[in-house]
Amino acid sequence: MSARNPGMHLDLEWVSKVRVNTQAVLKRAQQIQGHKVAKKQWQAAWMLKAVTCIDLTTLAGDDTPSNVHRLCMKATQPIRHDLLKSMDMHDKGITTAAVCVYPSRVADAVKSLKAANSSLPVASVATGFPAGQTPLKTRLEEVRMAVKDGATEIDIVINRTLALTGQWAALYDEIRQFREACEDAHMKTILAVGELGTFTNVYKASLVSMMAGSDFIKTSTGKESVNATYPIAIVMVRAIRDYHLRTGHKVGFKPAGGIRTAQESVVWLTLMKEELGDEWLDPYLFRLGASSLLADIERQIYHYVTGRYPAYHELPMA
Amino acid sequence: MAGISTKTVHEIFRTMEYGSSSTNTATTAQSWLEKHSRTLGFFVDGTFSSPADRQTLDVTDSKSAVVCSTVCAKDEDVMSAVSSAARGFTTWRELSCYQRAKVLLKLASVLQRHSQCVSELCELSQSSTSPTVLIRLAQYYASWAQLRDTLMPEWTPHGVVVVSDDCSVYFLMLKVLPALSMGNSVIVVPGKTSALPALLLAQLFMEAGIPAGVLNVVTGSEVSLAAKLAQNPQVNYLTYCGCKQTGEAVAKAVAGWGVPMSFSLSQSSVCPFIIFDSADLDSAVDGVIELAFKKKRDFQWVLCVQESVLDSVVARLKLRMAGMKCVSLVTETDRNLIDVVVQEAQQQGATLIQSCPPPSTGGLYPPTVLCGLAPSCESVISPPPGPVLPLMSFRSSAEGVTLGNHSPHGQAASIWTEDLTLALESAKSLCLGSVWVNCHSVMDPALPICGRRESGNCTDGGREGLYQFLRPSLSPSLPRSSPSSINYAAFGSVASKFMIPEGFDPSSVPRFYPQLVSGQLRKADSGCSRSVLAPGGAVLAHCPDGGRKDVRNAVEAATKVQPGWMKKSPATRSQSIYSLADSLDKRRRDLAVSIQTQTSISFEEAEKEVELSISRLSDWAARCDKEQGGTPFPPQSGSALSTPEALGVLGVILPSSKPLLSLVSLLGAAVAMGNAVVMVPSEKYPLPALEFIQVLQASDIPAGLVSIITGSRDQLTQALANHSVIQSIWYWGSKEGCQFLQYSCINPLKRLWLHCEEEEEEAAGRNWSSSNPSLQEELWRKAVVWKSIWIPTA
Repeated sequence: MSARNPGMHLDLEWVSKVRVNTQAVLKRAQQIQGHKVAKKQWQAAWMLKAVTCIDLTTLAGDDTPSNVHRLCMKATQPIRHDLLKSMDMHDKGITTAAVCVYPSRVADAVKSLKAANSSLPVASVATGFPAGQTPLKTRLEEVRMAVKDGATEIDIVINRTLALTGQWAALYDEIRQFREACEDAHMKTILAVGELGTFTNVYKASLVSMMAGSDFIKTSTGKESVNATYPIAIVMVRAIRDYHLRTGHKVGFKPAGGIRTAQESVVWLTLMKEELGDEWLDPYLFRLGASSLLADIERQIYHYVTGRYPAYHELPMA
Repeated sequence: MAGISTKTVHEIFRTMEYGSSSTNTATTAQSWLEKHSRTLGFFVDGTFSSPADRQTLDVTDSKSAVVCSTVCAKDEDVMSAVSSAARGFTTWRELSCYQRAKVLLKLASVLQRHSQCVSELCELSQSSTSPTVLIRLAQYYASWAQLRDTLMPEWTPHGVVVVSDDCSVYFLMLKVLPALSMGNSVIVVPGKTSALPALLLAQLFMEAGIPAGVLNVVTGSEVSLAAKLAQNPQVNYLTYCGCKQTGEAVAKAVAGWGVPMSFSLSQSSVCPFIIFDSADLDSAVDGVIELAFKKKRDFQWVLCVQESVLDSVVARLKLRMAGMKCVSLVTETDRNLIDVVVQEAQQQGATLIQSCPPPSTGGLYPPTVLCGLAPSCESVISPPPGPVLPLMSFRSSAEGVTLGNHSPHGQAASIWTEDLTLALESAKSLCLGSVWVNCHSVMDPALPICGRRESGNCTDGGREGLYQFLRPSLSPSLPRSSPSSINYAAFGSVASKFMIPEGFDPSSVPRFYPQLVSGQLRKADSGCSRSVLAPGGAVLAHCPDGGRKDVRNAVEAATKVQPGWMKKSPATRSQSIYSLADSLDKRRRDLAVSIQTQTSISFEEAEKEVELSISRLSDWAARCDKEQGGTPFPPQSGSALSTPEALGVLGVILPSSKPLLSLVSLLGAAVAMGNAVVMVPSEKYPLPALEFIQVLQASDIPAGLVSIITGSRDQLTQALANHSVIQSIWYWGSKEGCQFLQYSCINPLKRLWLHCEEEEEEAAGRNWSSSNPSLQEELWRKAVVWKSIWIPTA
């Protein structure tokens, strides 16, 4: 595992110099979407890679121990064993990257995974997810409790009020405190890009989050109207590249929200490969936040292996 | 590459490579070629013909495999193509605008139907053009065909137009379609890469219902084919698109045949890609990666980066270029060229950014950026072919613009900044045809492409580009001629002989008129003078016998004054020209007398000419702030501007007919549009022009903006032709003069507007008294170049 991002002091001069040309970014996004990945085994391999990067997620009001348990079991065996076997991938440890739940369900998830002898990390959203509109004190407490319950990855949401009003120093301080509360748990910072207004703001928020020591930056909660789009991802990924160029620290990227098809997951991998290189094609530096994506990938892999399209009931549910 | 298909899922899972994209079999294109037995002849008179015993030329694909052969035209093929086109023109001309538009619209749908075949064939012949772009062109020009008579009444097509092309299918069609839409018939002489697509398009045109003979395609191996066609007296216009060497050869071969020619030399143009420190650097670097390392580029690029962000740009380039694969070169000989240039650059201290070391031999080379170069480096002056990009740095944004401008080329630039004011200021100051702000290589027929300096002397695209295929119905076309044998090197060098007039009458010493150079009344630099004769032969006056040095001084002064004049608001220019008209009004009697003495017309007629001249100057004063560009709709969202700009310094050899009226008509147009002008009065009737100097002196026109130099026409023509600052020459004079200018004004390139006056008198030359709007429009359009500015937004 690569070293964690220790963060740095808040460099406001750097933040203020950020410039993003919207139409050029949109054009680049189109270009990346037009990038063709070869078919057959290439497609299968890329989709399996996508599986290993998934943070398999359930974030609903009606989550209970039983559906969290199902989710954990699916995460440990995401693709039907016989399908993997026919590709000779059954013994390569194909699991999703993590499961992601609300803080109150962390204990359930940890228990299920432990019972299944799995070391799969449990991630938890925290800090007043999804709006972040609760007092700082309770948000910090939420992080601490999730960590105590056994979450090894924490997805925090930033305070959009601070970002929108340009109070970068205050935002930096908040994220710093979250990072301390996380202790050894990896911190993924959700920027809620749909609510940041401009690409330039997205870039600035990305920089500030990384300066404050985020291990990952994440696009959205999945609860905003605009979720993970390719142009926004390009902006964030460029911020990651910029930060890496200046500090040498590698920060991961997690798009989340609205990613449903196998085809999209391949585009996401292409985007990472094109913009950041092969090193970022790895669950240590790349995650896909998704719930229904896995089902589609499994169907596509079924098709690659058997040449037939499966009905949904032929593949185990999550 | 064996075993690529046997890679297991696990191997790919580990390396995460892309895998080779599906191999394009190009089946539809192949079957089209197969149907023609892989030998394509000429497309003449609506059918393919491949006469026997002609040489053939192989067309190869990217892997150097022969896909097809084309037939090389002989003289009789040239003849049959021209007569087919001439017949085609009579049919095409008779059709209504609507009928011509219908054919072009139909072409758009035919292209749609066969888009697969078109795109595969373009790909196969290494001239990739997307069919959607061609469809857009067809639709765009269909609407111009529809609107010709409504929006451009009083203009007529030239007749038979030869379009020769060495670039890409897009640039070819950007000339063929407007020519057709304006009612001309066309003979296409495609280059090697555009031959197959051009022949296919000709067939698709037939399917769209174009009458036989309107579009012909003739292929050949020699550059002289286009010239041979143009030498035929039935051809009325030649336009060429491609590289400089070929263009020069064509121009020299056609000089003297009386065919107007124009050149778009985009292919050999070097364009600056300027990154300011206020740019979105990542997007700018994306742009660089996208355009610089392609196998075939429309232009050559030079990267200019502001010093304060140089390191950031270089770091990003390194990151983005890492892992890029080698690019195959167009020919293997390019490899030697690249090696020489790269080595030389390295010896001069340049550092390389290279994705991988170049393979030891062969037609592959990795994407390479040469950092730390200066404008004096050979690789900046003429960048090598292949994926090699020179990089220079500059200090201030003003210096960036200077760096971009300091080049013999004037095709295009791509500038990157988020600062709107800087973007617009730079776009305005760059002396080139197209400026792409935060984007690059966007093409659309709605915006003109108008190369400056060495990059071309014609305008393609937009409404502006239609006029090269039209002439005012009232203006006669250049009469055809055959070239005389001229010693080009000695042209104009014969010293004029000063004769001491016989029967000298001491009681009436002829007056000496000085010429106007740099805003001052001067004698000739040589000190010599010549006599001005009345039509009867009597000596009326003496005038300076100006020469090369007088032209040099005049141009020097003009270059100093012209930028300021151009920057003045059109309203201010307008006031100055009104003052000139006013000043003429005050001296109307003097001028009328000088016209009368010089040309022996009646005093009433002379007064009439003066009266018309005053009103003509007022016309131009009024037009100053009226002729403007537009804001065409760009294909994507954003803004686009098309603005007319001054050419710079013009040289005008004035006609003899209506000596005052023609002078003010030409002077007015040139100066109103912001140019400076060096005028040479006709040898025959210089007196009114010399008298007019007083009018100029008394007006608000800045000193030095207009010079009037008298002397031997040939000598002064030669002097103007050999001064690179002069951007355009308007010429009324001898057939030999026209031939000399066509021959010599290709290197360095100038815009020529030639009139053979001796013959015009018989064919009733330009009617200067007419105030027909098309004649005025022709004039001001000759006096401007167009700049397109693209500002895409989200």
